[in-house]
Amino acid sequence: MSSPLPALTSPFKDKYTTLPSSSSSPSIATSDMHVSALTHVQRPQNPTFISQSSRGVASLPPVNSSFPQSTASLNHTPGNEDASWSLDQLQKFLDLPENAAAPAPNQLAESGTDVMASEDHDKKTDWHEWADDFINVPDPDWSRVLDDTNVLDSKLKVSKQQPQFHQNQPAPHGEFSSNAYPSSTTPTKPRMRWTPELHEAFLEAVNLLGGSERATPKGILKLMNVEGLTIYHVKSHLQKYRTARYMPESSEGTSEKKVTSIEKMKSIDLKTSIGITEALRMQMEVQKQLHEQLEIQRNLQLRIEEQGRYLQMMFEKQKKVENEKSGAPSSALDEAPSPLSGLNHLPCNNDKSDSEALHQDKSRIGIDSGNAGSKNEKGTADVSMKQKALETESTHHVEKNDDESGFPVLKRARTEK
Amino acid sequence: MKFGKRLKQQIEETLPAWRDKFLSYKELKKLVRLISSAESPEFGKADAGAEFMYLLNNEIDKFNAFFMEQEEDFIIRHKELQQRIKRVKDTWGPGGTKPSEAEYKDEMAKVRKDMVDFHGEMVLLVNYSNINYTGLAKILKKYDKRTGGLLRLPFIQKVLQQPFFVTDLVSKLVKECENTIDQVFPVEVEAEIVKEQREAITVAGKGIFRNTVAALLSMQEIRRGSSTYGHFSLPPLDLPDSDLIHSFQLNSPITTV
Repeated sequence: MSSPLPALTSPFKDKYTTLPSSSSSPSIATSDMHVSALTHVQRPQNPTFISQSSRGVASLPPVNSSFPQSTASLNHTPGNEDASWSLDQLQKFLDLPENAAAPAPNQLAESGTDVMASEDHDKKTDWHEWADDFINVPDPDWSRVLDDTNVLDSKLKVSKQQPQFHQNQPAPHGEFSSNAYPSSTTPTKPRMRWTPELHEAFLEAVNLLGGSERATPKGILKLMNVEGLTIYHVKSHLQKYRTARYMPESSEGTSEKKVTSIEKMKSIDLKTSIGITEALRMQMEVQKQLHEQLEIQRNLQLRIEEQGRYLQMMFEKQKKVENEKSGAPSSALDEAPSPLSGLNHLPCNNDKSDSEALHQDKSRIGIDSGNAGSKNEKGTADVSMKQKALETESTHHVEKNDDESGFPVLKRARTEK
Repeated sequence: MKFGKRLKQQIEETLPAWRDKFLSYKELKKLVRLISSAESPEFGKADAGAEFMYLLNNEIDKFNAFFMEQEEDFIIRHKELQQRIKRVKDTWGPGGTKPSEAEYKDEMAKVRKDMVDFHGEMVLLVNYSNINYTGLAKILKKYDKRTGGLLRLPFIQKVLQQPFFVTDLVSKLVKECENTIDQVFPVEVEAEIVKEQREAITVAGKGIFRNTVAALLSMQEIRRGSSTYGHFSLPPLDLPDSDLIHSFQLNSPITTV
C-alpha cells in the first residue's frame, strides 16, 4: 500500500535519473511533499525496497495515488526522538539539499506503482532475483550469522525472560548488516506488514522445522519462500513469537502461579468467581463501545475527505471554465457560487478569497453528512445502512443544523449529488 | 486547545509503553504559530511548508512503525490465544486427556481475562490510530488557516492511505476476538445480580479498562460542539451508556494492577 513507495523512489532514482522532470502535481504542497519524502530517505536501500514493495503488493491493494508516501521506516532519525521541535532543527533541515532528489519524483512514484500493480503474489520479477541475490550470499558469512542465531537460540533456552531477548538483539543484527548487506550502511528496519495468512505460513514452516526452539530464521525463510521476505523480518517475528509462547506457558499449570493469581484476585477485591466474569463483561462492553464508535468515526472522516476531494475537483473545473471565458464570469458561474456563497456568518469564516469560501462550502457539506451520521449512530452498528440513510435524510439535517450551528443548510447542493 | 488538552490526558492515561508514540500536537502547534509570525525572507512560504511536512512525515513514520509493530504482535497473540483455548479444552475439558472441572474452570478464567485484556489492547490501538489522525487533521487545518497554504487537502489524502490509518486488520481481529469471547463466556447471569455487583466490583487489567473509559470519554468531549465547529468537524458523539461510563471514571474503587 503506502509504505513501499518512498523506499522505491531512492533506488529508482539511481536507475532512472534520465526521466523527464514533468511533474503533474497540482500544487506547491505536493512537490514539497516529494522533496521531503525523498530527502527523508537518506540512503540507498535496496533490501528495504525489495521487502517493502513486494510485500506491499502481496498483502495490500495497489496504490493509485500520485503522492509518494514517505513512510520510509527510518524510525530513528536523530534528534527527532524528543518531542520538542526547535528552530535549530529547522535550520538543520534548511541546510539539507532540498532539490537533491527533485527530478520527477512523481514520475518515479507512478512508474513504481505501475510495476507493482502488475505484479502478482508469487510471480518472479526482477525484485525476486535481487532478493535471491542477497539471500544467497557466500556461505561463510551466513554460517557466521547462523552461529550467532544458534547462540541466540541457546540463550533463549537457558532463560525464559524477556529482557534477554532485547539484549541479544543488537549484536546479531549489527553483524548482519556488515556481512549480509554490503550495500547498505545501516541496519535499517524495513517495515513488513504481517498478515494472519503470512503468520500461518510462518507457523507451518516453524512446525516443519521442529518447533519454535529448533527452527532457525534461515530455515524458516527458505521454507516460507515468500517474495520480499527477508531474514531480518523472520528473525524479529520469530522472537516475538517465542515471547508470546513463553508468557502464557509460564502461567499455566504451575502451582506457584496459581497462588499469585489468587492473591491478585484478592487484591482487586472480588467476592465470587461470578464477580470476575461480570467485571470482565463490563470491560468488554465498554471496549466494544469504544471500538464501535471508532469505526463510525473513521468512516465519517473518510467520507468527509471524500467530499472534500469532490468539491476540490468541482472547484478546479470551475476555475478552468472561468479561465477559458477569459475573465468575464459566465451565467453558469453565477448560478453555481450563489447557493454556495452567503455563508459569511459562519463562526469559522475567513472572508478572504474564493478558495476560502469554497473551503467553507466543503465544511458545510461535511457537517450535513456528519450530523446525519450521528443521528444514525443509535443502535445500528451497520455502517453501510447509515450511509444509505445519510443520502436520503436531508430534512433532518435542516433541524439539526439550525439548532446547533445556526446557519441555513445547503440542502439543495446536498441532494443534487 | 481543547483537543490538545484531551490528547494530553489520553497520553497520560495510556499504557506506559505507548506514551511517546503519540502525535506531538503541542509542538507542532507552536511551530505553526512560529511559522506564521516569523515571515522573514529566508522563511519563505515554500520552505516553511517543506519543513512542516518533513516533521509531519516524521510523525507519520513514527505512527506507522509503532502501529505495524503492535499489529504484528496482535496477530501472533491472537493465534496463540486460540491455540491456548484449544489446549485447555483438550487437556482439562470434558473430553480431554486429563479432564478436571476445577482445572478447566481455573484455566478458562485466566483465558477469559487474557482475552478481554487482549481485546481491549487492540481497541486501544485503533483508538491510537484515530486520535493521531484527528490531531493531524487539526494541525493541518491550523497550518492552512495561519499561513494561507493549501497543504491540508492533499496531505490528508496521503495520510488516509498510511498503514497506521488502515486499521482494517486490527478491527477484524477485534471482531474475531469478540466471537471467541462469546463462546468462552458462561451464560449471562440474572440482570439484578449483575447490577448489584457492578457497584461492588473493581476492575483490574493493566490499566486497559481505565484507558478505554478515558478514550471513550475523550472522544465524546472532543466532538462536543466548539467555537470552530464547521471545517470538516465531526458531529457530537452519541454514547448510549454515557452515564455508566462516566461513573467508571469517577469511582475510586477502580484500581489498576
